[in-house]
Amino acid sequence: MYYDSRFTYFVFAMAIVSSYSNKRVLILDDMPEMRSSLRIQVASLGIDQVALAANVRDALEHLKIHHFDLMLCDYYLGGSTDGQQFLEYLRTKKIISRSTIVIMITAEQSYESVITAAECMPDDYLLKPFTADAIKVRLDRLLEKKVRLAQIDKLQDQGRWSEIIPACDEILAAKDKYLVDAMRVKGNALIMTRRFDDAVAFYKEALQLRSMPWAKLGLAKAQQGSGNHEHAKCTLQEIIAETPRFLAAYDALGHLHRENGQMEDALKILDDACVISPNALARHRAIAKVAEEASDFGRVEKALKTVLQKTINSPLRDLNDYATLGNALTELGDHAQAIAVIDEAKKNFKNSDDSPILASTEAIAHHKAGNADRARSALARTMKGGAKALSDTDKIAVAKAYLLHGQHDEAEQMLKHVVQNTPGQTALHGVVVNLMKVYGAQGKAENFIEESHAEVIQLNNDAVKIGQSGDLKAAAAMMREAAERLPGNLQILANASYALLLDMLANGIDAGELNDANRYRKLLVSLDQHHPKLDAISEAMAKLQSKFNVSQAS
Amino acid sequence: MSFSEIAALTLHDIKNRLAQLASRAEARGDLETLREAMDSAAGLSRLLTYYRTDIGNLSLDIDAHSPSDLILELAADSRSMRPCAAEPDIREAPSIWFYDEALVRMVLVNALQNASRHARSRISLKACQRDAVLVFTVSDDGDGYPEKVLSDAEGNSPPVSREGTGLGIRLAKRIAEMHVNQNRKGAVSLENNLGAHFHLILP
Repeated sequence: MYYDSRFTYFVFAMAIVSSYSNKRVLILDDMPEMRSSLRIQVASLGIDQVALAANVRDALEHLKIHHFDLMLCDYYLGGSTDGQQFLEYLRTKKIISRSTIVIMITAEQSYESVITAAECMPDDYLLKPFTADAIKVRLDRLLEKKVRLAQIDKLQDQGRWSEIIPACDEILAAKDKYLVDAMRVKGNALIMTRRFDDAVAFYKEALQLRSMPWAKLGLAKAQQGSGNHEHAKCTLQEIIAETPRFLAAYDALGHLHRENGQMEDALKILDDACVISPNALARHRAIAKVAEEASDFGRVEKALKTVLQKTINSPLRDLNDYATLGNALTELGDHAQAIAVIDEAKKNFKNSDDSPILASTEAIAHHKAGNADRARSALARTMKGGAKALSDTDKIAVAKAYLLHGQHDEAEQMLKHVVQNTPGQTALHGVVVNLMKVYGAQGKAENFIEESHAEVIQLNNDAVKIGQSGDLKAAAAMMREAAERLPGNLQILANASYALLLDMLANGIDAGELNDANRYRKLLVSLDQHHPKLDAISEAMAKLQSKFNVSQAS
Repeated sequence: MSFSEIAALTLHDIKNRLAQLASRAEARGDLETLREAMDSAAGLSRLLTYYRTDIGNLSLDIDAHSPSDLILELAADSRSMRPCAAEPDIREAPSIWFYDEALVRMVLVNALQNASRHARSRISLKACQRDAVLVFTVSDDGDGYPEKVLSDAEGNSPPVSREGTGLGIRLAKRIAEMHVNQNRKGAVSLENNLGAHFHLILP
């Protein structure tokens, strides 16, 4: 063929950048004169779909109604929230996708700019003052890039990591100016699909090109994933020494320390990061989380009071912050203040009654303060949405309230499921054991984790035995029930998918079973692309297809 | 509050007011005032950046960028604002190179400002790869640098520029030297050859 796909893309890109008439722009700046001059500049480029926002609340209202192609956001927004914080909020809450271009307007050269997680960085910075032409040139450049990376951006937004790798390879082969962009995404995709050894090799090769902090961070994460924690730690410390503003490395090191149970080290490195970037809410929340796991409730209080103060009257405030702070205050024995924080949350958040975490915190605080009736009514609200609606974190909070109210069986059951659903998460298991020690049966606490795991193994063995005895239907039903209860346990997912397939091979196709077998397999792949049981599952799937001539649901 | 702190805040405030001035000039199509306001603001930015290199508070954000994109952007900028537009030359530019784009932009904008003061009729702006380095070159067809500027390789004895304070060239050297790759430092070199040539060399 005479022309290749790059040619097509080039023509496409030209068509896109030549006209802005279909583009929608959001301008966020607290200064009225800046807003109006930006609007004039944008209008002079032929863009007339412009929305103006003076604060993050207005901006969120606009973002609720429309998709914007471009957001021009000033770094200083006057209030307690700055542009970077707001962008982090928008990206983590998935309010804007990668298809929205974000340009951060700053008054000074890289003064404010810290380097955080890649998805929370703006697409570009503009230093004040700038002309309308300058906006146009940058915008053209960014639009061209978005067109080139549209496919991998979309796959990233959808979390389809295994499909991203070949899409990146295509760009890498072209060796054009988007080479490094594609490298970043590919490395991350290798990690997300748990191909850690491939990722280590990939990042080492990337670092041959140039010593780049993001590639070193990727290398550290890949090293950690392949179990090499010492190397990961050294790599991260190296980044921090070389590039002190690279905050993502502090976060990764904090995470690594936490995984290894070194809570003090984790807190220290996160504190260091807060000195460099005191406004990043996510990091104060991370500190609160680690401190809570370490039972350092004074530190939880300090971190979350900072968050509350920075998000006061802001749409960025979060109900969970109030609940966690309430819990910490209760632990510190300050029941009155705990109740005040909970009441404030109930006043500020419309759906506060639906939050199991807040309800359990309320139940505990009132119980300890001696208000038995209010405690009981809060406790009843914890299970309002049913047990299935509870996340693992919710379950821990609810279980604590149950334990305190003497409902040990329900609490232990809930905690057992948390442990079974989170194999390998030692920090979380530590929290569970501690809860059992303090509020539950002291004797049961010691072996709680082992017994919970043993129960899963027993369940698997029982199912195998039943299957071997010929009752494949019963075995499949058993595993299916377990998979519904423990969708985070890889072994259960794998065996459930496999058992369903074996049952169908023997007893014929059942649409519901086939659907679940596929669903568990997909979930398994998303958690561990190289799970040892996957080959057997694929084989059984193929057999089923040829035997019954069914098409495999993708 | 120390003098340097209050100076930094004041500069910041003046820059914001220049931004307002620039935007009003742009809105009414007054290019001369726009240019003057933009150049003054750029001068203050350089001063603030220089101050930060002085106190060791400037860190680079080195990433992969397209030198051609930067050249074309600066050429478009000069076309819209200056009487003598810079001609871009990207024939020998590599598709990507690693540098701090904001700081390199600042250096090149300054070099273009100088060139436009001295050029008779031509300014050119070029990026090309020479072995293991990228060279950005800003050339004009004026009288060239005075001898004492060319001989002052270290940029220590003021005044070092053809006009003005010498801040631009000093800052350019500092920024170039902060770009290090495999133990090679970046550099700035000045040359007279049918006009003045400013080279920013990045490893």
